[in-house]
Amino acid sequence: MAKLKTVIKHEYLTIVKQPSFWIVMIAIPVLIAAIFGLSYFGNKSSEERINELAKDLKNISIIDKSGLISPDIVQASGLTLSPSDQVDELREDVRMGEKEGLIVYPDNLAEKRKFDIFLSSDDLTKMNTVGSLGSSILNTSVFLPLGSADIIALAQNGAESTVTTYRDGQETAGFNEYIVPGLFVIVFYIVFVFSVGYMLTSVSEEKENRSMEMVLTYVEPRNLIIGKLLAVILVTLTQVLFFAVLAGVAYLIALSLGNSLSLPFGIDLQKIVFDPETVFFSIGFLVVGFLMFAGFMTATAAIAPSTKEANSFSSVFFLGAFVPFYMIFMILTDPENPITKFITFFPLTSPVVNLLRNTVGNIGTLEAALSLAVMTLFMVLSIWIAVRAFSRGALEFSSSLKLSALFKK
Amino acid sequence: MTKPIVQVKDFKLTIGSKKIVDNLSFDIHPGEVFAFLGANGSGKTSTIRSLLGIYQPTSGILHINGRKYSPDDARSVGYLPEERGLYTRSKVLDVMIYFGELKGLSAQEARDFSLAYLERVGLADKAATKVKKLSGGQQQKVQLGVAIIGDPDLLILDEPTKGLDPVNRKLLLDIVDELQSKGAAVIYITHLMEEVERLADRILILKDGKARAYGTVAAVKKEFKSKSIEDIFVSIYNEKSSEVAHGKA
Repeated sequence: MAKLKTVIKHEYLTIVKQPSFWIVMIAIPVLIAAIFGLSYFGNKSSEERINELAKDLKNISIIDKSGLISPDIVQASGLTLSPSDQVDELREDVRMGEKEGLIVYPDNLAEKRKFDIFLSSDDLTKMNTVGSLGSSILNTSVFLPLGSADIIALAQNGAESTVTTYRDGQETAGFNEYIVPGLFVIVFYIVFVFSVGYMLTSVSEEKENRSMEMVLTYVEPRNLIIGKLLAVILVTLTQVLFFAVLAGVAYLIALSLGNSLSLPFGIDLQKIVFDPETVFFSIGFLVVGFLMFAGFMTATAAIAPSTKEANSFSSVFFLGAFVPFYMIFMILTDPENPITKFITFFPLTSPVVNLLRNTVGNIGTLEAALSLAVMTLFMVLSIWIAVRAFSRGALEFSSSLKLSALFKK
Repeated sequence: MTKPIVQVKDFKLTIGSKKIVDNLSFDIHPGEVFAFLGANGSGKTSTIRSLLGIYQPTSGILHINGRKYSPDDARSVGYLPEERGLYTRSKVLDVMIYFGELKGLSAQEARDFSLAYLERVGLADKAATKVKKLSGGQQQKVQLGVAIIGDPDLLILDEPTKGLDPVNRKLLLDIVDELQSKGAAVIYITHLMEEVERLADRILILKDGKARAYGTVAAVKKEFKSKSIEDIFVSIYNEKSSEVAHGKA
């Protein structure tokens, strides 16, 4: 027990003392914030540029051959309609840079649904702005016969829907039900990408730096593996705690912003649902899935003679974890599909598939329990293989351990 | 005669279809330097790994202090394997304390021992340095420190002076002498016969997993009618696979 504690402490501190561990942890939220920030300020800056350009649009001519454009709308835009026979002349002015642009609505506009724009430069923002102006004049002109400005706006922009859902006669929280189990999917990927890899690195580095034989003299292989596994779980908890604190802070900020914060999909932070059964299965799939992958990674590192080869072999497991995303539509909408059923129980895909299905609630209690049981079986198997591979392959420094050697007495 | 620290009797090891060690018997007593010799692939490392429970013997007895070794007895053994290395991303003192704790010392005992050892071998200022920043020779001194931490009863050194300069080689041999004088038994594996002549009380020369010479240095020399261990070693490896094992257990 004392040695197990020593191994756990050593492995845990080795990981969390690395500056790269904290750099990556801090970099993720910083990067996300930076992306949102850049996107926000970028859009703001673009808007400002468009507004500036809009002021310069006075030097744009409009010709309507279709008869669909309202002169009042054109006038409201600060522009005037030019006679139809001036197309060539105005086009030449644009080419020579004497005019900023020309919009021509042809006589077959209703049939072909195409109109022409001529610009004096190939500035991307200007192309975009004049294009929007042309479309806007057309849309508003077409909707004008509807009458009031409100009805025109409604026809142009549509309306937002408020969805109320019921289950067994009771109103449900709709999309808000997906938030908590959905977070487990995100946590699984964070854990998978960062922590599971530590098992691979931890074992393969010991082989590569040749400290393995010295360590095995003083610790049982089983204790060493279990110690490493528990250390990685502690590392994972550290990461989850770190992100949970950040998420908590973000949640409090979001709550304090109240109605001024508009979240997508009708998410209402005050209506987030904690369903015990869903959370139980989410934790189960997360923990068992994590341990299963950690076991497979350890076995891979023990079998492979070097970190490089171990990394190559491990790509199979990464593939297993990411493949479900290529089938996400089927997983979320067609739970009875035989392929969905297969990947629900197939060990390498089962953690992600079950977490996703549990999120949208298209997996029944019995199927979830059965799938968790199968996953647990594979987890035990993966840890057994890991200990066995480690006992037999830990001192194979120059060649890979043969798979047949795993099952020999 | 003192009770042997190491007792190997009728030890056989077969891996797959390959016979690695065949019917090997020897024992080692406290305060003795035992030179365990043989060419590459003769079965030395496999014997040591079997003695330390890393490999499972096919048959035979391999005892340390009267019983089969288990990591619970780690404090009594120090092992410097041929394939050796340290956690390169960790600090020197942290690595030594880790191994000390694995051998059953308290963190404080391990720290005190490590600091005293680093002082002695001139690496006191490197205690907080990462292992990867040390030179090869400095790393080797730390590896020896890891092996001798806790003053083991049995020290197994596999080519301990490989790559060391003469100054550090002398330092290492002095440390071995000192441990021996404290009563530790030393299994010394080397290809440098002058070290054998200087240090060893008894020798065993292994060829193809079998003992070809075994006894005190003087007795083996007398038996082979030779003045040097090196000549005996060469003659054994030059002889046509005769199955005659010399020496007495």
